[in-house]
Amino acid sequence: MLTRRILLAALAAAFAAGSAVGTRAADAQELTKASLRLKWLPQAQFAGFYVAVAKGYYKAEGIDLTINPGGPNLLAENLVATGSDTFGLSGGTDSVFAARDKGLPIVCIGVSHQITPFVFVTRKDGPVKTIQDFKGKTVTTWFTGANHVLNGMLAKEGVKSDEVKIQPQQVSVTPFIDGQIDVVTATYYNELYTIQSRMPKDSLKLFVSEDYGITFPRDTLIVSEETAKTKPDLVKAFLRASIKGWKDAFADPKGAVDTVMAAAPTLDRAHQEYMLGEIKRLMTAGKAAQEGLFWIDADAIKTTHDFFLQYKVLSKPLDLKAAYDSSFISALPAADRKL
Amino acid sequence: MSRLVPAQRLLASYPCKALSAMSAGRVGGFARLMLGLVFAAIVWEGAVLLFGIKPYYLPRLGAVMGAVLLTPEAYIHGFLRTLAETLIGFVAGASFGVVMGIVFFRARTLRELILPIFVVSQTIPVIAFGALVVLWFGNTLLAKAVIAFYLTFFPVTVNTLLGLGSVDHRQAALLRSFGASDRQLLFRLQLPTALPQIFVALRLASSLSLVGAIVGEWFGDTTGVGVMLLQAMFTENVPAMWAALLAAALLGTGFYAVVAAVERQLVFWRAEQ
Repeated sequence: MLTRRILLAALAAAFAAGSAVGTRAADAQELTKASLRLKWLPQAQFAGFYVAVAKGYYKAEGIDLTINPGGPNLLAENLVATGSDTFGLSGGTDSVFAARDKGLPIVCIGVSHQITPFVFVTRKDGPVKTIQDFKGKTVTTWFTGANHVLNGMLAKEGVKSDEVKIQPQQVSVTPFIDGQIDVVTATYYNELYTIQSRMPKDSLKLFVSEDYGITFPRDTLIVSEETAKTKPDLVKAFLRASIKGWKDAFADPKGAVDTVMAAAPTLDRAHQEYMLGEIKRLMTAGKAAQEGLFWIDADAIKTTHDFFLQYKVLSKPLDLKAAYDSSFISALPAADRKL
Repeated sequence: MSRLVPAQRLLASYPCKALSAMSAGRVGGFARLMLGLVFAAIVWEGAVLLFGIKPYYLPRLGAVMGAVLLTPEAYIHGFLRTLAETLIGFVAGASFGVVMGIVFFRARTLRELILPIFVVSQTIPVIAFGALVVLWFGNTLLAKAVIAFYLTFFPVTVNTLLGLGSVDHRQAALLRSFGASDRQLLFRLQLPTALPQIFVALRLASSLSLVGAIVGEWFGDTTGVGVMLLQAMFTENVPAMWAALLAAALLGTGFYAVVAAVERQLVFWRAEQ
């Protein structure tokens, strides 16, 4: 009697365990594991991806997505090329060019910021009124791409870059606020916010690269050549879910900031809400206004490429069709891409 | 003969009177420490108010505490995460260091073969090494512990070797003449003699492992004191930056104090001399 009961119990347990394993295996089959490497730590700059995860948009497309934050000295291109991460939101057109120039097998599948996301800032009442006035002044910038834009703007106005005291920019914009430097580089969504919060309104003059015919699209979505070739449906599904997340983030910015701050609670809410507004402007500028989010503007890419060739940042011309593949984003219905 | 004291004392029972006297002294020390901290807090708060220091140079201590109290869980989680990374890296680095020290002490050929590689490994800055660690270990707790380990094992190895080398040959010969085995020689004479030197390295390693954990977190992560520091730094959220700095200081000093307390317990003869 007792042994039979034990036997039955053991059988039942084995069956239960077996069916549990069975369902788990089925789940795993439906969901493809993938990761997205960001260019920086969680903040509103990446809100759409966090919203898409929180609302289950990737799961609905059959993707089990992990978002991996970036950091200083981490190159999304390297991590995607080696297969450590499936997708990457990398530096921008500059880092994609550099990676392709070095022969890293990565492909850009979408561009987030359609225009240059940073500006050069000076005081309205200061000595710098035009690019000509940069001569002999102290300018700080990032040597991760922004320096090329600065050099390009100077060249357009006939100023030699050795006539300007160009220094690498440290983390803080405090030296500019204190008046130790004349011109500082600032992204619309981060440094400009800090500067504006510490200086009187309307005391700033901005030099915008687009006014000098230079545009520098940044925040590029990348995959490895292998993923692009062997898993085109995964790439399309990822883009569909991401765009859905971004549309939700723009429709409900407060909710999106909530989602981001769940991942990084120590962030400053006011700054994050401001950031999301600026990101929306950058993501819907230029061609994206007609074509929708993550559109790859071939003309803008070509302009940036030629600009880099001219200043010898690139050693040789690149095959832009191979580096920027818009077939995935174009495959999505236009109505889905647009806000 | 006085050099034999450590070995003999390790076998003897710990004198109870000394223990209670020492703990009374420690309570006094703790009170003094708290007094010092309160004084520093008052000077901080007072100086900011008195001299009208702008909050982006130095925020009031109250504002920093306010930043912590706004999201206390985030700071607690970050603190615990970094503590775990530091501890794992420290324990692994210290154990590996002591074992390698003993191995190098015993096998001269191995020392000449491997120690130079250790030296070369330490000349690579961690920053250069970090991206590789992410490739190999991903964004795991282990990746940070590995960097903490990388920073700690070398000083421990070298100091263990140095400590073992300082053993008096006559003492070793004496124990040998009584028929002591290699094992007995190691645990009764060589390691106890090396212990003060090893603890010099362990105290050093306690701070280094924290540095390793924090730097490790700069290669992509979501929780930890290093992450909070980085995030606050780049958004110029100054109160949050100071909050992360204080958390790192608390972790560093706390860990150092624990290692020093263990040292006082284990290397008691040093305190008595």
